[in-house]
Amino acid sequence: MTAGAGRSSGIGSLARRPEVGSLVGLIVTYVFFAILGGQVFLGAPGWSSWLNTAAEVGIISLPVGLLMIAGELDISVGSVLPASSLTVAIISGRYGLPIYLGIAGALCVGLAVGFLNGLLVSRTRIPSLIITIGTMFAVMGLTLGFTILIAGSTGVFIVPDPLTKSLLGAALGGMFQVGIFWWAGFCAVIYFLLHVSHWGNWIFALGGDRESARNAGIPTQRLTIQLYMLSGFAAAFVGVIQVVTFGSAQVAAGSSFIFNSIMCVVIGGVLLTGGAGSVIGIVLGTMTFAIVNQGIFFSGLDPNFGSIIIGALLLAAVLSNDTFRAMALSYAAKKQ
Amino acid sequence: MTNVLKLMITAALLATTANVAMAGGAKIFVVGGKADDPFWSIVKRGAEDAGKVVGAEGGKVVWLAPQNYDNLGVDAAELIRQAIDQKADAIVAPDWVPAAMDPAFKAVKAAGIPFIVYNAGGIQAADRLGAMNYVGAVDYRAGVAAGDYLGKAGHKNGVCVNSLPGAANIEDYCKGFAEGISKAGGKSDVLPLPATAEGNVTAVAQAVRAYLLQHADVDAIMATANLDAVGIVQGVAQAGKAGKAHLCGINFDQAILAQISAGTQDCAIDQQGYQQGFYAVSILNGYVNYGLSIPTREILTGPGIVDNSNIKSTMVGAKEGTR
Amino acid sequence: MDMISAFVRRPAAASVLSLIGVLAFYVIFGGVDLGRLAAAASWLNFAANLGIVALPVGLLMIAGEIDISIGAMIPAGSMTTAILSGYYGLPIWMGMAGALALGVVVGLVNGLLAVRTNVPTLIITLGTLVGMQGVVLSASVLLTGNASVEVMAPDWAKFAFGHLIAGSHQVIIVWWLLLTALFAFVVHQTRYGNWIFAMGGDKNSARNAGIPTRRLTIVLFVLSATCAAFVGMCQAIQFNSAQVSGGMSYIFNVIVSVVVGGVLLKGGFGSVFGIFFGSLTFAVVSQGIYFTSIDRNWSNLIIGVMLLIAVAMNETFRRMAIAYAPKKRTAV
Repeated sequence: MTAGAGRSSGIGSLARRPEVGSLVGLIVTYVFFAILGGQVFLGAPGWSSWLNTAAEVGIISLPVGLLMIAGELDISVGSVLPASSLTVAIISGRYGLPIYLGIAGALCVGLAVGFLNGLLVSRTRIPSLIITIGTMFAVMGLTLGFTILIAGSTGVFIVPDPLTKSLLGAALGGMFQVGIFWWAGFCAVIYFLLHVSHWGNWIFALGGDRESARNAGIPTQRLTIQLYMLSGFAAAFVGVIQVVTFGSAQVAAGSSFIFNSIMCVVIGGVLLTGGAGSVIGIVLGTMTFAIVNQGIFFSGLDPNFGSIIIGALLLAAVLSNDTFRAMALSYAAKKQ
Repeated sequence: MTNVLKLMITAALLATTANVAMAGGAKIFVVGGKADDPFWSIVKRGAEDAGKVVGAEGGKVVWLAPQNYDNLGVDAAELIRQAIDQKADAIVAPDWVPAAMDPAFKAVKAAGIPFIVYNAGGIQAADRLGAMNYVGAVDYRAGVAAGDYLGKAGHKNGVCVNSLPGAANIEDYCKGFAEGISKAGGKSDVLPLPATAEGNVTAVAQAVRAYLLQHADVDAIMATANLDAVGIVQGVAQAGKAGKAHLCGINFDQAILAQISAGTQDCAIDQQGYQQGFYAVSILNGYVNYGLSIPTREILTGPGIVDNSNIKSTMVGAKEGTR
Repeated sequence: MDMISAFVRRPAAASVLSLIGVLAFYVIFGGVDLGRLAAAASWLNFAANLGIVALPVGLLMIAGEIDISIGAMIPAGSMTTAILSGYYGLPIWMGMAGALALGVVVGLVNGLLAVRTNVPTLIITLGTLVGMQGVVLSASVLLTGNASVEVMAPDWAKFAFGHLIAGSHQVIIVWWLLLTALFAFVVHQTRYGNWIFAMGGDKNSARNAGIPTRRLTIVLFVLSATCAAFVGMCQAIQFNSAQVSGGMSYIFNVIVSVVVGGVLLKGGFGSVFGIFFGSLTFAVVSQGIYFTSIDRNWSNLIIGVMLLIAVAMNETFRRMAIAYAPKKRTAV
């Protein structure tokens, strides 16, 4: 994806990277809300506020972004999250088993749903949008049915032990949640997978053209299943973080993560058609999304306008990404 | 192929005979909130427990609920009409949006089906529509109770956190809160959350934290959903306002009771949803089968206040899923 | 055999079979009384409200695009009608015109963005969806101070858009049937239909063949936003009230109906009758559970499983249909 010509001017080649659009968007958004939000937003309370939000949607956006680069979608993340929270709460809260068993159970739920998604998407010709809508409904139903059956109510309560709470649910200085560090860790792992290991090339190839990738010898079925298991795992992980942080799990949770993660990924420059994108872009997009969501509450704006601003931002970000990409592609041609 | 066919035919026959055997008692249709709503699952539990008696007398209780709260009045009106279509012997329904639902209730009356209004609308709705009784708290009054409690305790600058703008029942909580706190000499505001925050307890926590940082003199907060209350406590703590901003919420569960015990939440409004479902079904069952009725037409199940002073007894019920 | 093979080769075939399968499931495992189900209006009302929106969205999908902003357009239509005619007391035709005009405007925005930029329509309409959610909420709270508004329409408006036939069936069902017939005629009997299929097949080739793809895309987006606003408008008139909402469930319901109806997500294949039966099938799946004694807690599970089965059946029948044709020729 890097332009072959143009190594001469450092700034020039840097400016032509696809993430530049996302970075510019991030800076513009931050400055806008900093002006409105004043001192409080610029200080640690402001930073920790949007970083806390970004961490959770960020962990899910990373594998959702990978899937989009590979040309697929995952709608079921919205229902895997509460399923995982409730698994932890029921196993360790209701039944009193040690919490690592609850967490292991929750992560297995995420992996299992991911496996099912990957299997159905790779074995049938049904589009992943439809398959994951189906699994989303199915998991929602199973979650509600089993929770009421086992626990008698839609929510389950848990008191995590101090060690687990400090690892997964504490807030440093009472402000920066530990999830931020987990997010950073995820980013590093996914960056390695996508940009350093050969696995990443396979993902780009899959997004470019599935048939060609298959013919080139890439194990597309296995790859698809692995990607979906990764997104199921990520959604389950955020579910675990939430239940350990807040001590309570409810059935009706997680729905906003579906479109939020897609927004973060798209603002970050990942093409919906697949074949292009980067981890840095996704991270920048996630930060931009979180800054807008939180910045509204710090500014003096009426929160009712919140959604309008988010929608306008999404369109502006995508249009500017589009423009930057067109510029980058045409720039390279000019140099020749 | 023939074995499968035989199996299918037997199953079909069993299904039809099962229906016939139930034809003795009262078929009571209950319209309620969505199944994954923490409050409404308790109401459903009450209705189902009363349904055990109904079933023992040869009838059954059928629970009808919308999938979500995107179109509350419309969906509920349609469900009421569906109950009429399915030849209900008796109907229980809330009057969330009178403009949309009154015509459906009138159709119930015109069909001669006895019905009870519960959960929303008050005795005025029952009188206006010709229902047997009104059973329940009134959402608006629950909000008033919360505002009143916090205002009287000296916390006069309030905000109501609305994570589902648009749904009539949630809107009523916030409006009631405004009235309750202003009657106690305070004022209040509403914090609506965008759709991107739906179902995300972290988003609620961070939004409340940001709001408190920007509005430093707010000291009374109202939560309109179970998970919101848990999130708000965290948001308050992260804003450094623990002990200064006081929280009262609607409904409760074990997590919320733990918060009240620990002092991070001041009170929870109890509407005794279990009683709403239980009594509405029981009264109608008695009426359909034996002609019994309760002349006290308004049966209020709330709003009650649960705070540190009466928390012990509620904990058992919360664990069982009946409170 | 001839008729059956001809039937199976139609895109709508799979959706009809899905409908039959779903009904069979509910009768056998849910103990549903078919007679009572047929007489009941609830699922037909649901299907009509869903179906009117599914028609243009389905056409957009055949043309290779998608519109998810309809989720916010339905409450936008009902709120516009309610605010203009209920809160401000303007005559009802102004409220109705306002709702439809809003649909046209949003459709134009979607369409123009779709043809002028390279941004995928899923993302464009996601942006307008979120934006419109905010517009409806803000307008409602700022103008009326409430998140739900009442409106009492005069008799003629109620008769045309919002009354119950025989006390149970919403008149919007009639509108749905009319619109289905109209769309079916345009898509399957006129050249516009060919154009839509061509666009879905390959947009560039269609353009090179002289089809005005840009104009057609904009028209389709305007149609889908306006139909969604129309459904909202009818609901406001029928039920005398409107509320703010996120509308997420409408999106999934419409996409599922369209796909169960045999429309391919990548475009180029589908039929209006398929979309019609797909909407019916989804309505039966979603509302039929109320006629059974299955615990409601499992309803989403049933919806999810049925969706997957219905779509799998579609795929199988479509492949069978494509493979079937050549066999006949060799026999002759």
